[in-house]
Amino acid sequence: MSIPADLKYTKEHEWVRLEDDIATLGISDHAQEALGDIVFVELPEIGRRIAPGEAFAVVESVKAVSDVYAPVGGEIIEVNELLESEPEKINTDPYGAGWIARVKTDGSSAELLDEAAYTLFLEE
Amino acid sequence: MTELAHTPLYDEHLALGGKIVPFAGYAMPVQYPDGALKEYTAVREGRAGLFDISHMGQIRVTGPEALAFLQYATTNDVARLNNGQVQYSALLNEQGTFIDDITTYRLDADAYYLCVNAANRHKDVAHLQAVARDFNVQLHDESDGTTLLALQGHDAQHLLQALVDTDLETIGYYRFAETQILGRPAIVSRTGYTGEDGFELYLPNTIATEVWRALLEADAVPIGLAARDMLRTEMGYALYGHEISDAVTPVEASLMWITRLDKGDFIGRQAVLERREEGPRQRLIALKLTGRGIPREHYPVLVDGETSGEVTSGMHSPVAGGIALAYVRPEHAGGGELAVEIRGRAVAATRARLPFVRSNVRK
Repeated sequence: MSIPADLKYTKEHEWVRLEDDIATLGISDHAQEALGDIVFVELPEIGRRIAPGEAFAVVESVKAVSDVYAPVGGEIIEVNELLESEPEKINTDPYGAGWIARVKTDGSSAELLDEAAYTLFLEE
Repeated sequence: MTELAHTPLYDEHLALGGKIVPFAGYAMPVQYPDGALKEYTAVREGRAGLFDISHMGQIRVTGPEALAFLQYATTNDVARLNNGQVQYSALLNEQGTFIDDITTYRLDADAYYLCVNAANRHKDVAHLQAVARDFNVQLHDESDGTTLLALQGHDAQHLLQALVDTDLETIGYYRFAETQILGRPAIVSRTGYTGEDGFELYLPNTIATEVWRALLEADAVPIGLAARDMLRTEMGYALYGHEISDAVTPVEASLMWITRLDKGDFIGRQAVLERREEGPRQRLIALKLTGRGIPREHYPVLVDGETSGEVTSGMHSPVAGGIALAYVRPEHAGGGELAVEIRGRAVAATRARLPFVRSNVRK
């Protein structure tokens, strides 16, 4: 189970990489493993405003449909269109090629956990 | 919640890292560590997949009136069976709706073997026992002592032959042999639920682990429920609780081909005749999305913008894309603009022909 130290996590198993006011979002290694083979991703529209905790994308595995919740609030400025043809990138590289969207943050955020806190949360 | 039952291979599933889920009252592997897609691919692309389907039930029917009993209790024409032949069939109630779908094996003129769905087993046995009071037959529920494995895929025959005395080449599609595996009596039929060539093996529980391990050793790939459902949905095979249930008759479910109205009286016949006369209340259709998305069970199906029915089984097929079986109003079976409502949005679809993916069963 990979939990990079430079990211923050939510209790719904999303990750966020914050660089100034730009946040890159995805789902954690734990989440992709629990879902199994991901076969479809519904991406948000660019320009959409999202609030922390809002469902902004959908990830579907062979058997399950899962909402992806926003770790931070702001405006969607970029989506990972590669996932439309290769949704399995979320399985193979959840923190890299499997990123879902980029957001220009408005400073609001859900409860975010650092690596240590998320590790502890997974062990509970 | 009642405790889940285990098949004789439960510990094997755990040892392989199978992800266990509740299914029809049993703790069953939904997938193994390689994942459902790799399992699916192993079966479709030339290897052999090994499925533990021991949760299914087996009922032996013997006695001088076994044929007359089964003609009355099941929908298909059992008189058409010779020894060594298998038949897809169903049990209906007096309303003509499904108690279960089954397979009937003819062992001899006065001996038959039924394979039934796990979730329906106790209901089926109680129903059949009640019907059997009027016939000179004996029923034996052999489910608890029987392990049922399916070995499916291009390599199935080659892998299995090493364990079986009978020349498998002599067993045709929907035929079976009573043979021996590891010196114990077993039934081997060329049947399955995947659309690939392959076999189903009825074994005494005592050799379940040994046969399971031998087939894995020979390079069979263990397959969980998720891949099994993908494989059967691509073929358009009905699944009890989805396409068939006690809410529909064979007229709705497109299963009149296993309902032989001309064979004489059987339970549900009158109701089916009437339903055929008045027309189906809904129709089962196959559809394929042309827009992006995955049609899932219970998603609404729209025809010309109005809700007409719902998806009964749906999936993302690696070959065919978003595919589904669905019930719609009878007048919509043939025409009208089709769509599936996915998270509030209408995603365009077209009618499809079954199977969705080419079948490789050996006819």
